[in-house]
Amino acid sequence: MPRFLIQFAQQHEEFRLPELEALATIENVQMTYEPSDYSLESPFLIVEIESAEKAALLLKRAILIKTITELWGIGSSWDELVVKVKEHPERWPQYLNTTFKFSVVTFGGTIEMKDKPAIINRFSFTGFMGKIDLKNPEEEFLLIADYGIDPNVTVAHTFYMGRLVGHGKRDLIEKFNVKKRKYIGNTTMDAELSLIMANQALCAPGKLVYDPFVGTGSFLMTCAHFGAMTVGSDIDGRQIRGKGKASIQSNCEQYNLKGRVLDALVFDVCHAPWRKFKGGLFDAIVTDPPYGVRAGAKTLGRKDPSKQATEPRMAVEEGVLAHLLPDYVPPTKPYEMSEVVADLLMFAVKNLVRGGRLVYWLPTVTEDYAIDDLPTHPCMELVANCEQAFGQWSRRLITMEKVADWDGEAALGPPSGDMNKSTTSPKCQGHFGFRDRYFAFGTVDSARRKKELKEAFQKGGKEGVAAYMKDQEKKKQQTQQQQDAEDARNV
Amino acid sequence: MLQCHVKGCDANNFPLELQEVVLEQEEAEFNEDFLKNMLGKLEYEALVATSLKLDIHDLPATMPEDAAYNDEFLQILHRVILETHIKSGKMVCPNCQHIYNIRDGIPNMLLAEHEV
Repeated sequence: MPRFLIQFAQQHEEFRLPELEALATIENVQMTYEPSDYSLESPFLIVEIESAEKAALLLKRAILIKTITELWGIGSSWDELVVKVKEHPERWPQYLNTTFKFSVVTFGGTIEMKDKPAIINRFSFTGFMGKIDLKNPEEEFLLIADYGIDPNVTVAHTFYMGRLVGHGKRDLIEKFNVKKRKYIGNTTMDAELSLIMANQALCAPGKLVYDPFVGTGSFLMTCAHFGAMTVGSDIDGRQIRGKGKASIQSNCEQYNLKGRVLDALVFDVCHAPWRKFKGGLFDAIVTDPPYGVRAGAKTLGRKDPSKQATEPRMAVEEGVLAHLLPDYVPPTKPYEMSEVVADLLMFAVKNLVRGGRLVYWLPTVTEDYAIDDLPTHPCMELVANCEQAFGQWSRRLITMEKVADWDGEAALGPPSGDMNKSTTSPKCQGHFGFRDRYFAFGTVDSARRKKELKEAFQKGGKEGVAAYMKDQEKKKQQTQQQQDAEDARNV
Repeated sequence: MLQCHVKGCDANNFPLELQEVVLEQEEAEFNEDFLKNMLGKLEYEALVATSLKLDIHDLPATMPEDAAYNDEFLQILHRVILETHIKSGKMVCPNCQHIYNIRDGIPNMLLAEHEV
């Protein structure tokens, strides 16, 4: 089987293999690779695929793949690479007369412009006679030198040569860039991750995808971009309506997806009005549940159950029932993260088609997280669990697939329900009470800051404090610059 | 696709009855795969009944047996379920009479405090 070299983006490393697997599933491409060949620390992976045409299918909507190259040789030096490529002269003749160009690509190191022609000339034995076209060649051949991610290494350790199959769709990240989107909120998911989620959910034409915490509708857009019909709901109608001309609807117009984003409704997912349908209504559920840091999860009801009305209440105006007034907003109570996640999974069990996927974010306190934090259900199988780390906490993109029909009985497995009071598992779930624990990090940070300020004052009085503030500002700028540079590199 | 979900309202709660409806037609791309996907999920009789109340008489009374391959039928279905939008109106539960309002094309399905 022909071998292909995948170069991933060196970004969201944990998400790369799950996305690749999802792409292979969507496009029905048979692909094999040696799992031990894959490392989070390298962007390269060699896979075996039946043909270049099949390999190209993987690129159609790949977010974390930069390029796929038909591999012609691999070596630990340019010399060895030349030898390896020469072993297969049968590959060359079909490209004898096409227009072409050679490109020298490096990872983790640089090769100066002036040195590149000499390297390219070492491959002139292929005898290509077509015109060299630097702008728009029919074929592009890559010479890749991999220095690895260690910045202290100055010598490349692996060299590859091959014929470029194509590029992934990283330009979509720019298309859906949140900064250019007309309507966003403070919890809008960034474009790259939204797109990856749409891939994880196997979004494709003909499918119906639902987001029960729709917010400003990011996932409706990215899932619809890949052809799915999408529908969302939220307990807070203000997010859906937006302000003035900026709303979910205006975003649909901006991306020209109006026909595919079907509806956004206002309701509480705990009290969802979807008609019960035995085979499941949705092909995928894609969502980012509010975890209480920027927006808190809410459910209908009152905090104090004894105060909850059981009969219609009268409004202040006489003779009118409160809930019939046009501006009636029912009371809501906080919705604990572990309950949100358990309810979401149960909702998926009941409402997904078989083979349908649930893709959601789980915020978790790094220190307390363990794999068995995830609620499980006999009908649902874990497909992927990818971490995006933020130091003391992280969020995990969980992908589950419905593998069996729900018989109406099987309940969530551990640690669902009231796990904080569980006696069998004394450990606290990584996402239990997430909001309170997240804000506790802030207290630690501000306590440290106070202490440092005090020390600065003791050392240098007011000037010492000023110097400290300036130093902090500088550090902040540096981090921002690093982040910007990284972003620029990764696009 | 929606049913009444007021606590205890379990029978005769579908389909919701539309009242005072303002409709809007908007062209959408024809999506055969999606329509086929939805064929099995639709409660067809309810759809026809609801359409008739909205003065839409295009749908045949029963779903053709060859629905999935019947282009003419799929086109009609496309027009009814994907190109017809309810701009505003009310959805009333035939059982408990709960009124769900639709404003700016967004249905408000929230329950009142005493209904959860």
